[in-house]
Amino acid sequence: MDESLSNRSVLFRYCRIAAVLVVLFSSFSVHAQKFIGTRLEHLPADYNLSLLEVEVVAESEDWVSFEQLVPNLGMGEGVEWMRLTLDPMTENGKLIEIQNAGIDDLTCFMVCDGKIIASYPGGIMNTGGDGHQFGTYPSFPVPLVECNELHALFRMQSNKPMIVPLRIAGPRKVLEDAHQRDVLFALYAGVMLVMLLYNLFLFLSIGDRSYLEYVLFIFAVGGTQLVLNGYGFIFGADQLPWLNLRLTHLFGVFSGLTTIVFVRNFLRLSRYVPWLNKLLNVYFLFYLLALLLAVVGRLEWSYQLINFCAAGTFLIIPGTIITMRKGYSPAKYFLLAFTVFIFAVVIFVLKDAGVIPYNAWTFYALPMGSAIEVVVLSLALASRINQLKRESVQAREEQLRVSQLNEQMVREQNSVLEERVAKRTSALESANSNIQNTLDELQSAQQQLVQSEKLASIGQLTAGIAHELNNPINFVASSAQSLRRDFEDLTQVIEKVKGMDPMDPGLKEEMIQLKEMFGSLDIEFTQREIEELLNGIEDGTKRTSEIVKGLRIFSRMDGDNFTMAQINELLESTLIVLRSNLKDHAVVEADMGTDLPLVSCQPGRLNQVFMNIITNASQSMEDSGLAVEERIVRISSKTVESIGQSWIEVRIKDHGVGMTEAVKAQIFDPFFTTKAVGEGTGLGLSIVMGILSDHNAEVDVDTEEGVGTEFIIRFPL
Amino acid sequence: MINVLYLDDELHNLTAFRAAFRRDFHVHVTTEPTEAVRILREQPIEVIISDQKMPTLSGVEFFELIMPDFPDPIRMLLTGHADIDAVIDAINKGQIYKYIAKPWNESELKAMVNEAAMLFHERKAVSDQGAVLLHRMQEARTMALMIQRATGQASGLDADQTAEINRHAAEINRLLAD
Repeated sequence: MDESLSNRSVLFRYCRIAAVLVVLFSSFSVHAQKFIGTRLEHLPADYNLSLLEVEVVAESEDWVSFEQLVPNLGMGEGVEWMRLTLDPMTENGKLIEIQNAGIDDLTCFMVCDGKIIASYPGGIMNTGGDGHQFGTYPSFPVPLVECNELHALFRMQSNKPMIVPLRIAGPRKVLEDAHQRDVLFALYAGVMLVMLLYNLFLFLSIGDRSYLEYVLFIFAVGGTQLVLNGYGFIFGADQLPWLNLRLTHLFGVFSGLTTIVFVRNFLRLSRYVPWLNKLLNVYFLFYLLALLLAVVGRLEWSYQLINFCAAGTFLIIPGTIITMRKGYSPAKYFLLAFTVFIFAVVIFVLKDAGVIPYNAWTFYALPMGSAIEVVVLSLALASRINQLKRESVQAREEQLRVSQLNEQMVREQNSVLEERVAKRTSALESANSNIQNTLDELQSAQQQLVQSEKLASIGQLTAGIAHELNNPINFVASSAQSLRRDFEDLTQVIEKVKGMDPMDPGLKEEMIQLKEMFGSLDIEFTQREIEELLNGIEDGTKRTSEIVKGLRIFSRMDGDNFTMAQINELLESTLIVLRSNLKDHAVVEADMGTDLPLVSCQPGRLNQVFMNIITNASQSMEDSGLAVEERIVRISSKTVESIGQSWIEVRIKDHGVGMTEAVKAQIFDPFFTTKAVGEGTGLGLSIVMGILSDHNAEVDVDTEEGVGTEFIIRFPL
Repeated sequence: MINVLYLDDELHNLTAFRAAFRRDFHVHVTTEPTEAVRILREQPIEVIISDQKMPTLSGVEFFELIMPDFPDPIRMLLTGHADIDAVIDAINKGQIYKYIAKPWNESELKAMVNEAAMLFHERKAVSDQGAVLLHRMQEARTMALMIQRATGQASGLDADQTAEINRHAAEINRLLAD
């Protein structure tokens, strides 16, 4: 609403300015011009080619009259001659004025009765000259002489069309008109300057590039009008003849280029009318070519090319309509502006062509049209800026809407994700608890297996120990019974001795009986036997207590705690426990080091290690074909220094079947066994490995198939 | 007195055994299987007791070893713990009369040895009677042949009588052969 309001107020303002302009023009337009082209004569074309002396021309008889009030002599390298016959009586003291500031070289010769009495230079080449000129148009005074025949001869050459709106008027009239024109063009220049500055400020404050393009456009269009009407000196061109000759061309090119740039950007041709955009590129190149031609001096060609390009301006009308149809509202103002301008151009051209009269309206059509164009375009530009602003607001709103939509989607997505995450989490948790259960089961299975391995070794032990204990128990018990009987025999003797009386005269008889008793009871043998039996009992008791002690060491209650223990003691207790198991299978040769330091270890678990390895060693020799005496398990212990550290080294060596590399690589793997199914759990050595790594012990296995195996275990001190 | 041989690698067991049973049996003890074989050759051993678990060879192996040469003595296996495989093995092979678990019960062991000796003597008696019977049968056979031969040489016997005698002789031979 604000924008359309401000739009309307802007429109209103510009309308007011336009109205003032129209009123001003109306006030000037009442003075219709009186051009006298029909009084002029010119020489035929063949005179144009050579540079003739003015005297020769003056004597020529070939003059031809013009039919138009405003003749057009064309343009080019050629020199044109023109003659005006003056009435010496009525027209002396007046001024001959040619209302065309674009003639490059113009000289007026006054010929009185065939004699040249004065010559006045004029035109672009001669500006800033001798002060005979009122305003911007060349004007020449009719001399106050008495002649029968007074002629004004004009020699003209120009690279622009030599249109000759010529009139004769009193100096005052010419001066007034010049003033009036100056005022009008000052007004025009003012309007253009205001527009220029206004848009320049807009450009500086808003920074929109199209304002700068528009400023250049205004400068070019306004400058072109001023230059066309002889105000080139504003730009200082009067001091630079080279520039002055080309000023029209340069401004033409400049106008064209700025128009193309401005139109293209303003109408967004690349978006709405691509074909026109491309075509304008061609025009752009043509303008550049025209510029080049102007610079190198081909001014006539340059002018023609510029004219040709300017005709292309018509193309802007359909382009604008297409753009408008596509909903680009600023194009309306644009269409209006260019229609006005082109209308003005048409009027201007028709005027030059003599189709419509040459008067103030037609004369000022171009400046007026361009002024209106500039004003309306300014309006268009404002509308365009508003449109852009609207679009950017819409875009922002759209963005906002989209981002809100996105946010909502993200939120929904989030909740979906959260739900999914929750689901996944609970699935994971349940999977986790399943895994935990499985793990627990596995652990308990593992514990059971370890336990069963332990139990298996315990079973193996008890069998051996039972035998080991049974022997001493057997002979101790049996010896005790035999002792009792032997003692009964002795008791008989003792009783007999007890009943003997030294005073009894039958003592000798009794002594003989006693002797017989000795013989029959074989007391000497009994004595020896008692000795042996007692030895046996002692030995049996000792062995039993040894076994029990070994057992106690072997399966200490604190076996799983780290305590300081003597490795040799552990090895020996293991051997005691294993003795009966080994007895039928192998011979143990022990070489225990003396004074070994104590080692921090779990004695019970280490016994399991030693028992396992020693049993394996003994079993490995069963299939070796050796006799039992040759099946030697060599066990040694000593202190060694290695890698800067002290160790207790235990070596257990056999001469059994040995192992291949493949078997050796797997012996510590759980469930790996070389025994038949059901004979081994395959856990023994893996448990050994676990126990030894708990002790930070190092294990080397030195084995060769068919030769034997040596386990080297080092316990760090 | 019954001759008993006891083989065990444990010397104290031998001592205890001898002390326990020397009053009842004629006890021979040794720790060495070779010594045991020597004793078997020299003594009229009726009962052999061997420990199962020994370093050089097991009791079952020892029994297998002596079987061809000394099939008659009654064999009993003594072992410290139930070596069930050895027991099954021994019983299946029919080598073992009794299985004794350590520690032994003296009176039970004594009874077993007595029973074993009785079995030994019964078997011996049966085989003696068999030998006598065999001897008599051979004598009868010889006599039958002699009768046959004598009948063939004798004259005056008619063919029927000769055939009759031959038929009886053949019958005797057939019965003896069975």
